[in-house]
Amino acid sequence: MQAARKLMSVRRDFRERDVRVVLVALIIAVATVATIALFASQLQRTLVSSASSFLAADRQLEAENGRPIPGEWLEEARIRGLETGRMVEFSTMISGPEGFELASIKAVSNEYPLRGDVEIQEQTGDSARKVVTSGPEPGQVWINPRLLRLLNLDIGDKLEVGNLELEVASLLIREPDGGFRLSSLAPRVMMHVDDVESTGAVQEGSRVEFIYLFAGEERSLNEYHQWLEPRLEPSHEWEGVRDGETFSNSFDRAESFLLLGGSLAVLLAAVAVAVASRQYAISQRDTVALLKTLGLQGKGIGRLYLRRLALWGVVGIVGGLAVALPLFWLLVSLLGDALERPIDLYLDPTALMPALLTALVSLFAFAYPPIRRLRNVPAMRVLRAQPGETGREALPDLVIAILAIFGLVWMYAGELVLVGALLGGLALLLGVLALFGLVLMALLRRVRGGGNAWRLAFVGLYRHRQASLAQLAVFAMTIMLAATLILVRTSLLNDWQAQLPEDAPNHFLINIAPESVEKVESFWAEHDAPLENLYPMVRGRLTELNGDPVKEAVSKDERVNALNRELNLTWMEQLPEDNEVIEGRWFADDDTEGVSVEADLAARLGLEVGDRLTFTIGSEKVTEPVVSIRTVQWDSMKPNFYVAFPPEGGLTNMPATWITSFYLPEQGKQALNDFSRRFPTVSVLELDHIIARIQDIVRQVTQAIEAILALILAAALVVMAAVVSATLRDRQREGALIRTLGGRQTLLVRSTMLEFALLGLIAGVLGVVAAEAAVYVLQSRMFDGSFSWHWQVILPLPLASAVLLAMFGRWQLRPVLSVSPMLLLRRLE
Amino acid sequence: MNQMTDFTRSETSPMLRVSELTHRVSIETDTLTILQGVSLEINRGESVAIVGRSGSGKTTLLGLLAGLDTPSDGVVELDGAEISKLSEDERAKLRASRVGFVFQSFQLLPALSALENVMLPLELAGIEAPEKRARELLERVGLGERLTHTPRQLSGGEQQRVAIARAFASDPVILFADEPTGNLDNRTGQAVSDLLMDLNREQGTTLVMVTHDEHLAARCGRQLNIEAGILTEPETALERAD
Repeated sequence: MQAARKLMSVRRDFRERDVRVVLVALIIAVATVATIALFASQLQRTLVSSASSFLAADRQLEAENGRPIPGEWLEEARIRGLETGRMVEFSTMISGPEGFELASIKAVSNEYPLRGDVEIQEQTGDSARKVVTSGPEPGQVWINPRLLRLLNLDIGDKLEVGNLELEVASLLIREPDGGFRLSSLAPRVMMHVDDVESTGAVQEGSRVEFIYLFAGEERSLNEYHQWLEPRLEPSHEWEGVRDGETFSNSFDRAESFLLLGGSLAVLLAAVAVAVASRQYAISQRDTVALLKTLGLQGKGIGRLYLRRLALWGVVGIVGGLAVALPLFWLLVSLLGDALERPIDLYLDPTALMPALLTALVSLFAFAYPPIRRLRNVPAMRVLRAQPGETGREALPDLVIAILAIFGLVWMYAGELVLVGALLGGLALLLGVLALFGLVLMALLRRVRGGGNAWRLAFVGLYRHRQASLAQLAVFAMTIMLAATLILVRTSLLNDWQAQLPEDAPNHFLINIAPESVEKVESFWAEHDAPLENLYPMVRGRLTELNGDPVKEAVSKDERVNALNRELNLTWMEQLPEDNEVIEGRWFADDDTEGVSVEADLAARLGLEVGDRLTFTIGSEKVTEPVVSIRTVQWDSMKPNFYVAFPPEGGLTNMPATWITSFYLPEQGKQALNDFSRRFPTVSVLELDHIIARIQDIVRQVTQAIEAILALILAAALVVMAAVVSATLRDRQREGALIRTLGGRQTLLVRSTMLEFALLGLIAGVLGVVAAEAAVYVLQSRMFDGSFSWHWQVILPLPLASAVLLAMFGRWQLRPVLSVSPMLLLRRLE
Repeated sequence: MNQMTDFTRSETSPMLRVSELTHRVSIETDTLTILQGVSLEINRGESVAIVGRSGSGKTTLLGLLAGLDTPSDGVVELDGAEISKLSEDERAKLRASRVGFVFQSFQLLPALSALENVMLPLELAGIEAPEKRARELLERVGLGERLTHTPRQLSGGEQQRVAIARAFASDPVILFADEPTGNLDNRTGQAVSDLLMDLNREQGTTLVMVTHDEHLAARCGRQLNIEAGILTEPETALERAD
């Protein structure tokens, strides 16, 4: 079957413009989805590994009961191929040549840190800092620089921790797991875990935390956790990256965004393939009619095109991957540059599955239906043009396509809200479009032909009304998808920036005695770093719920961390700006009873307004009703409290210290030493490194989002180009005719550009409106942000799309203007 | 092979028998009658021209005779098979083995060379050594030197000669031609119609040609007129007058 085979060869196919469009659309589909999936998977890994360094591991197991965990637990972890390490944290007095200081000791094993690195400085002064991936040797300590001054020490000096004398080997600048723990109020001293016993500082009953570090494959970690879970006691806490309240929000949003981006890519790809293959099917009708006339039966025609489709699938997948892999590599190296550190290239084979599936679904749900109908082309077509498709027979196609899109996006994003918002937006768009199209065409029909560019443009729109409406639909859809992404990205980035502004508080002052409060305030006011809000803090335990012991009231499955440790209680007059009362009411001025409880804690305890809570503070018990439940921004870097009392309420006369956070710029750090000397009992918690890390993560995610946005916009452009070129031949023929009939070039250029600009403007307006609708749903349901109109996009985007399409139109005319009309007409025959 | 597709050839029966053929198409709210009560018989080896003005229904009639379309009413029997009762696939099969076509607009596949265009029906009909037969035919129509040229590289006359070679390739018993010289200038048209007539005679094929060219029609053994969907045969009228 030499001739028939040749008729079906991809190489020959590729010479046909319509097939080229289908193949390019397919390649783009596969490439975009594969790149995004690969990159998202890489980013996920990079983010997790970067965030893992907040734990110095992938997971931590904390034992707060003052006892090490059984050795077999660690043995089990090693058997499962996990790396392990351990730390002991406790507070003790250390002594130097000049006096004593309370220090927060962290003793680490040789393996520390399993993730991330430690920054130290081996000389005092401005000497270079050094990044290392281990802790101090036995016999040595690394200390917080402030201790140097407090104890008048120098590097190389000895200091005593309990009974043991250790050498100060380096200054500890940054530790990877320098998390925000109130237990670590005092300046840090890092030592080797083997030295702990000889210090004698850790005795039966002393307050000490044993912390175990684990790192390894995600699956092994999860399996190990499953093994471990039934063995854990309430005082054990298994901590993963996602458990940290500080970062989980940023992660979830980043992940949602990537999924959204991926879904939009799938949608765009589907649109491109559907448009191009329909175009292709139309162009194949003559061939099919001829083949039928020559005696090929329906089955044979079906086989012929199925084989062809399969070949396209192969070309699309191979070609798409050939584009995706280098692109992925490029994105990863860009990401590496942005992070100023190399990234382990990680090619996740499972990330390629969505791309393959997209190719297959695109082919069989979007490309196949119009091609399948080719077998219905009447043979009579060889003798005479037959009425084309009315569009009614394409209805089942539409149903298949919508189901396929639904399935694809669902598979890709796994979020019903996302699928609903996008499809709802699209449905709304198509509905409005249909209505709008009818009105527009009714109006355009009144325009009568004539010689000026505006009239020609209107007449052009009307003459190609079917193509115009189809193009309008695709453009509007593409613009909607792109606008949705731009809008979500913008508000996401804004939210992040708002969450951690440049001047976010980066230092905490803790343990301020009531009589020092005013002096501390005036000290920082003098140093241009005014304190915002000072809160009293009383340590207490929640012991009873409506008169029952709280451990009985709460079912055993519900492990509530807040119950295992002392809570920081406070009293406040005003609701903090970033808190929100979601149930009950905030305290009135003269309220003397009641408490306000943080929403998550309330949910986990099943609290409602009116429940009575009993707190044990020292030796006293305080019982108060819940009057309000409020949300708290845990990642605000401000003091946050689970439970708040009114100013003259249950905490009056309880021993309190005060806490605050404030922003201290790098150059103001010098003042910290003066402060420590003047207020030796006040603990300073330096969070600037943590904040820098969070900002680093936000930057990484931002980079990724920008890159993916760029990719998707590129895909959108190609979709548009594909759709515009669908009518290329007709338009070029018309252009050549107008020139043959004596139309001037400028008239042709102007009317064509106007026609496309009008199309672009209308599509832009419709697309942006539909995007706002989709963003409204997405914002309120997925990204929990508030919705507002986005004038910065609503206005320029339609204009941009008008300009863009006008340029497409101009580009299409190129051959019409550069070649003689006669030659062109003959070529287009 | 089932009964419907068992087209037994009988040398004595007419090649084409049409009785009371009517064809209507519905246009929006109206129904248009294109052909009305057409009856006719064409014998084996006959060459028949159907002449009529544009819009008279001659192309529709040709399509129905060749089984490209099915009539609203009436019977078409082609080489013993009642094609109005056959399914589309069965009609395709019948066309593959017994029918050849020449079109006004040539209908060559632009992507295939002249040789491949002629080979295509041979391959579809499952005839062995299609290339050899195709070469012979192209040489016969005077295009032996242009085998690898694609339609775009050929003139209109040359394209129609390729189409004629293709039409005779599968050894059809009947050939349908739709205005075969309609797109050609006079001289080229003359050459092409010579070729068509010669080949037809050589192969002993039955020829049914639709044309508005009276010169070309005159070269056929028999002429039929069609006007407003009604077929008349001048000679029959003459015979009656006798």
